[in-house]
Amino acid sequence: MNTNTLHASHDKTAIDIQKLCKSFGTLKAVNQMDMTVYTGEIFALLGVNGAGKTTMINMLTGRLWPTDGDAFVKGLSIRNQMQKIKPVISVSPQDTAVAGKLTVRENLEFIAGIYGYSKAVSRTRADEMIEKFHLQEVSKRRAQTLSGGWQRRLSIAMALVSAPEILFLDEPTVALDVLARHDLWQFIQTLKGQITIILTTHYLEEAEALADRIGIMNNGHLKAVGTVSEIIRTAQTDTFENAFIKLARGGAQI
Amino acid sequence: MKFMALASKNQKELLRDPLSYIFCIGFPLIMLVIMSIVNQSIPDEAHMVIFDIHHLPAGIAVFGLTFIMLFTALLLSKDRSQALLIRLYTSPLTAADYILGYMTPVLIIAVLQMCITFASSCVIALIADDSLNVGLLLVSVIGLLPSAVLYIGLGFIFGSLLSDKSAPAICSIFISAAGMLGGIFMDIESLGGIFFKICRLLPFYHSVKAARSIVLKDYQSALSPIIVTIIYAAAVIIIAAIIFKKQMKRQ
Repeated sequence: MNTNTLHASHDKTAIDIQKLCKSFGTLKAVNQMDMTVYTGEIFALLGVNGAGKTTMINMLTGRLWPTDGDAFVKGLSIRNQMQKIKPVISVSPQDTAVAGKLTVRENLEFIAGIYGYSKAVSRTRADEMIEKFHLQEVSKRRAQTLSGGWQRRLSIAMALVSAPEILFLDEPTVALDVLARHDLWQFIQTLKGQITIILTTHYLEEAEALADRIGIMNNGHLKAVGTVSEIIRTAQTDTFENAFIKLARGGAQI
Repeated sequence: MKFMALASKNQKELLRDPLSYIFCIGFPLIMLVIMSIVNQSIPDEAHMVIFDIHHLPAGIAVFGLTFIMLFTALLLSKDRSQALLIRLYTSPLTAADYILGYMTPVLIIAVLQMCITFASSCVIALIADDSLNVGLLLVSVIGLLPSAVLYIGLGFIFGSLLSDKSAPAICSIFISAAGMLGGIFMDIESLGGIFFKICRLLPFYHSVKAARSIVLKDYQSALSPIIVTIIYAAAVIIIAAIIFKKQMKRQ
């Protein structure tokens, strides 16, 4: 069963990827990817290190130019219309990307400002994010003085302050402790249905816990896409972990 | 205007870094004082004027701008290394927004630095029983604006291309070159010959010449160095924009 065609509806398509490729010399980091992400869903791109997940995100967000193929974000081409796409997307990169010498509040107002909000609205948006992410106790502290967990929380708050329609979370819980990770998972789940989220991860449990659908990547190829149960069923294994191992080792493709 | 948010962020970061005060303001002032003391020791028979209080401030002001170049490079290369620029590259900021966002706060600090340098020169002049024309010094600040843009543009290029570890090393080469080849610490005009011709091909000499000529009320001599500096500054800004755009696209 092809989950892409089952749910295909032009209005509900947030991202439509068509034969997307990225090569670095002879290395094909992303190879002929076809994939659809639907509006409002949490879509996880799962794969081991070097699978091509971050390269894929970098192309969709305009940081890398595709070698071949195209992708359409809200119907706009990443090749020709990237400047129109950027106002509606936001990225929380894998490395915590905060301005160290600015306070938490200043970081949030800064990002709101570069997305075109006025000073007054930026202040309001910052207040909302501080409340939403429980950053009150650290709001006046400089970002470089925060622990890794707080910085990651701030990083994601900065990704949301611009009220994006599509949010890219690149390995959001890497280097977080168990409690911080749990809190972040809970928060991501509250966003379900409100915005479209594409998250990359190499943690199976994270993909299982958060995602509506999962795309498994290996060596630049999309090996499978669907819900957890669909992937298990089609890989003909008993657990999601075994399905992932089978697909990641090239034993099957859906 | 989106670039204003980026400019505000950069301004805060510069003002919150103690090194900004040490190198952008403190160091040029120290050089001003030291060179004034050196000037006291130079016998009149040597006919060396570049360290006297009428010639020195312009040179030190340009020397200070080379440190502004260093700080621009560090500001940009640090953002690149800390993944913040990854976040910014995916935002709606255009290449023009980046250039204005990084250059505007640094230009403000450069103007402030020049004003402090010239104000301190007035104090040193008074102590030495001399005087400087404050109006001319202010005009010199305006005359040095193309130089400020030039050095900031160079800083932008280095910040775009180099890491935060290698940017200071390369910038220090330019700082030394500006000091020597610009005629700040060496009277290159009296040396003449091929060396002077080489110096005239580079922008450093023209920056210093423009400011010195204004302070000495030699406006005729100031005009062509200002024009040359403007041309260099425009070329550097265009190159900086091209390099930055290429970095953004990573083609």
